[in-house]
Amino acid sequence: MRDVSAGYGTMRVLHSLNFTVEAGERIGLVGLNGHGKTTMMSTIVGMTGWQDGSIIFLGNEIGGRRTHGTGRNTPKIVRSGIAIAPQGDAIFPGLSVAENLESGAYTQGAWRQRKKRRDAVLDIFPPLSDRLKQTAGTLSGGERRMVSVGRALMADAKLYLVDEPSLGLAPKISIALVAALCQIDLGDGAMVIAEQNLPLLSGRCDRILGMHAGELKEDVGEALGDLPPAAELS
Amino acid sequence: MIELLFSALVLASMYGLVAIGISLTWSSIGMLNLAQGFVFTAGGYGAYEFVQWMGKHQHIHTGNVLMVGVVLVGMLTAALAGLFVGLLAFLPLHDRVNFPVRGLIATLAISVIGTQLFIILFGPQNKPLPQLFGIKRFHIGTHGIAYGQLGTIVVAALVMGIVTFWMRTSRRGLQMRAMMMNPIGANMVGVSVRTTGMVTLAISGALSGLASVMLAQTFFVSPRSGVSPLTVGLIISLAGGLGSLPGTVAASVLLGLAEAATARYTKQSLVPFVQFGLVIAILAFRPRGLGGVLEDVRE
Amino acid sequence: MCVSRVSIGRRRLIPHWPVRTESLFRRVRVPFTKRPLLRFEGRYNPKTLKRELILRDKKPLFWTLGLFVLLVLPVAIGQERVFSIFGIICFYAAVNVFWTLIIGTAGLQSFASMATVGVGAYGATYLSISRHIHWPLMLVIGTFFGALLGFIISIPARRLDGMYYALLTLGLSEFIRSYITQDKALGGQFNGALFGADRIVSEDATHTLAGQSLNYFAAFAVLLGSLAVFRVVTGGRIGILLRTAQSSREDESFAQAIGVDFQRIRMFVFLIASAALGFVGAFYSAYTGGTSLNLFSLDQLLLLLAMIVIGGLGKAEGAVIGTVIVVFITQWFTAWGPWRIVFVGVMMLASVLYTRNGLFGLRQQVIEIRERRKALARSSRTTRYGAFLPEEGPEIRDKANISEREFERHIRDELREWISPEIIEEHRLAPTGQHSDHLERILNYFRKQPISNKYVVYCEESFKSYRVVALSGQPGVPPRLVDDKIYTSLDEAYHAVFLRRINDLKSQH
Repeated sequence: MRDVSAGYGTMRVLHSLNFTVEAGERIGLVGLNGHGKTTMMSTIVGMTGWQDGSIIFLGNEIGGRRTHGTGRNTPKIVRSGIAIAPQGDAIFPGLSVAENLESGAYTQGAWRQRKKRRDAVLDIFPPLSDRLKQTAGTLSGGERRMVSVGRALMADAKLYLVDEPSLGLAPKISIALVAALCQIDLGDGAMVIAEQNLPLLSGRCDRILGMHAGELKEDVGEALGDLPPAAELS
Repeated sequence: MIELLFSALVLASMYGLVAIGISLTWSSIGMLNLAQGFVFTAGGYGAYEFVQWMGKHQHIHTGNVLMVGVVLVGMLTAALAGLFVGLLAFLPLHDRVNFPVRGLIATLAISVIGTQLFIILFGPQNKPLPQLFGIKRFHIGTHGIAYGQLGTIVVAALVMGIVTFWMRTSRRGLQMRAMMMNPIGANMVGVSVRTTGMVTLAISGALSGLASVMLAQTFFVSPRSGVSPLTVGLIISLAGGLGSLPGTVAASVLLGLAEAATARYTKQSLVPFVQFGLVIAILAFRPRGLGGVLEDVRE
Repeated sequence: MCVSRVSIGRRRLIPHWPVRTESLFRRVRVPFTKRPLLRFEGRYNPKTLKRELILRDKKPLFWTLGLFVLLVLPVAIGQERVFSIFGIICFYAAVNVFWTLIIGTAGLQSFASMATVGVGAYGATYLSISRHIHWPLMLVIGTFFGALLGFIISIPARRLDGMYYALLTLGLSEFIRSYITQDKALGGQFNGALFGADRIVSEDATHTLAGQSLNYFAAFAVLLGSLAVFRVVTGGRIGILLRTAQSSREDESFAQAIGVDFQRIRMFVFLIASAALGFVGAFYSAYTGGTSLNLFSLDQLLLLLAMIVIGGLGKAEGAVIGTVIVVFITQWFTAWGPWRIVFVGVMMLASVLYTRNGLFGLRQQVIEIRERRKALARSSRTTRYGAFLPEEGPEIRDKANISEREFERHIRDELREWISPEIIEEHRLAPTGQHSDHLERILNYFRKQPISNKYVVYCEESFKSYRVVALSGQPGVPPRLVDDKIYTSLDEAYHAVFLRRINDLKSQH
């Protein structure tokens, strides 16, 4: 991303961001609520109100100012190899867990290999194996999050964007979830995890960036003095 | 009694086909397609033109092939008409403000224009279509049932079954159902609202085309032949629950029965009242229709 | 009259003329109300500094002109065909105005407008024929039937939302039509048409100019009445209450929270409009001496819909203008045949595709587009200019504000550059006393800030415990505690206040 600004309507959320992800990298994005982490992910897939600047993915330009409606180009962008697990799980409540996962296999090869990929996802999230036929709307919060993240993993994507995987989950579950995420072998893909809870990510990501008021600060760690003392891991 | 059942099922199948189309369109892309009557009539006229063309060219006369061809042409024309509607009313408006109302009005406008164009092109008279299934009757006990009726019911049920099956198992069907539940989420898994919407419109068009060709067995193709199926189709979608295929089928059977029974035992003129009353009764107990599957997901 | 105010990019034409001071305060009012006839304002012209009167709202002028033309034109031309066209205009315009009331103000997407008109017409006609009722009573009966149907339709309205309700009412027209066709008494004889009701102007007189004019004036009076009802409902208390709940779900919850029972008011408006539609229906039968089934036809309904869509949903002007346009096309160009309706359909389609609210919504739409583009440009520009952008300049009264904010911003930028660990340490070691130049400037800036939300030291117990509080800036409102820390020395407390102020400075723009 180069000089990317984005916002909704009259509000500008991102201010001239510059950001690069290399293949095989796992990046943590930390920051308080409302500072632009979700917006940054939405900008990459083209779901903000407006955006400026250039985003280059696998050599293709996918950024730029959109004059069409929100999300009109998202399917195309996503199909070029980006998988996103949005904040708050946009899962399909009326479909079964299996169908939810299947819908995530939207890239070229992924659909044909969906059985294999699904088994791989079930390995990562064992509790889902018993619930394959269950309607997704009846799952608990943690299970729903697993479905959402699992669905993102079903796609054979080069870039995985995970937005706040621990939001609203009990500490034990969120630790397990983030740990599972960080253990996935990325190959030549990359993963960006946005989190509010820094300790969950520290030590597990190649780089941790801070997001404050729409601007990125490199290699956080101690620099985020504004944050309250780190959340205790139970 | 048997005759009653058969006529009811015939009505149910034809209304059901149109209603499924409307229901699908509404629940997947949020547009109430009031141009479905136009699409219906277009299918009828497409089939008619095909028959005229065949007659002129003295081609294959083997009855069955011709009949299948008529049906397919009718469905194809109607599907194209559905795509045309999508081009004018859905694609430009779907992400603009106030889409449901504007889409409704746009489809109404297309319907108005289309009806008049049909009058201009084909004249206001009724046009007949040949009997698809022959005019023979068969007998169950003492009752005579036309092959046409049986054929209609079977074909309609088959097609409805195929569509339901396809929706549940195919990839495109999965995408359509996903879009019904959560359009934003669907966007994020690469389901393009525009493409899927057009596919939906084409399918609902094809279904209406099928209904149109089969309805033209008993009635004729005329510029206004789409009005009544549209109205009843809308009512059935309402009663069945917009978006629920099983609910729509159930509702169409119920209303078909109601119409047949009313016509047989009381006056024909009371049919609309009974249907209307039945729908109001259903909605009074279940405001979301019989299906109620998509209860809180999309209004 | 000349241009009186020029803002960058927009020229507004406000009629004004100089007057003597006494006549500034003379007001002509609508009788029995406090409402002035035209909205005048007195002011001093900013350029010439003379007293003058300006007219704020030009709409009444346009209305008067339009209605006057509508009234006089057919009488001036005098042909029977013109009378009939204008009569249709008045009739449909009245229906559309009430329909706009239902859809726009009451917010009910009902397609049963023509059905209500038809019910009023048929009820009145039938009773007039069978019991020889004269036209004044016919009108009352029509109103009653309209209200009755309105009441029946309003029952499902509570449980069904928008689209569902629209469908239901769409079906209703068809069903009533088929009922009337089948029913012997109402529809049997002439395929649904009834003749023989009492007319306002007798049958023979309709062929004279005077008779036709009188008939037309009656229709025009109905149109005026509809506009009056519309105005009273939307402009008065009911309209104001409903507007709180208009735009969206959040507005509706808000309205409920402040005690506005908007559902009930909406139903009330709907009933009024339905009764009025029944009245119009009865008038129609008195006007033409009978009714026919084409009142219920779907084509008619769609044509009416085209009228309000083209004109603009929600406004009475839209309803009237749309009616004039569509009726003109369909009635005048009869040689076109079915192409007339195709043309109207195309206009309707174009109207719904390209405009947000028909003809009369265009101005608002253009303004909105312009606003949005400005806002977008404003937000995507880097915030170099601070609080105000050049194009906002003319809209701010006191220009000194602009330069003051600029100045403050510049100072803050400079001070921010000077904040460093050394300065903080310097202050910690000696909060009071002599400081370096940069520190002193920073401290002066802090001291200059307004009282509201200013951090100060609160002495709980002299020499023992101090706290940091923030002043409220309002008389009578106590300061608020900022955190729990207690400082044992005044210097620590001073330094804490300093740190907080520095923090705020860093995060301020």
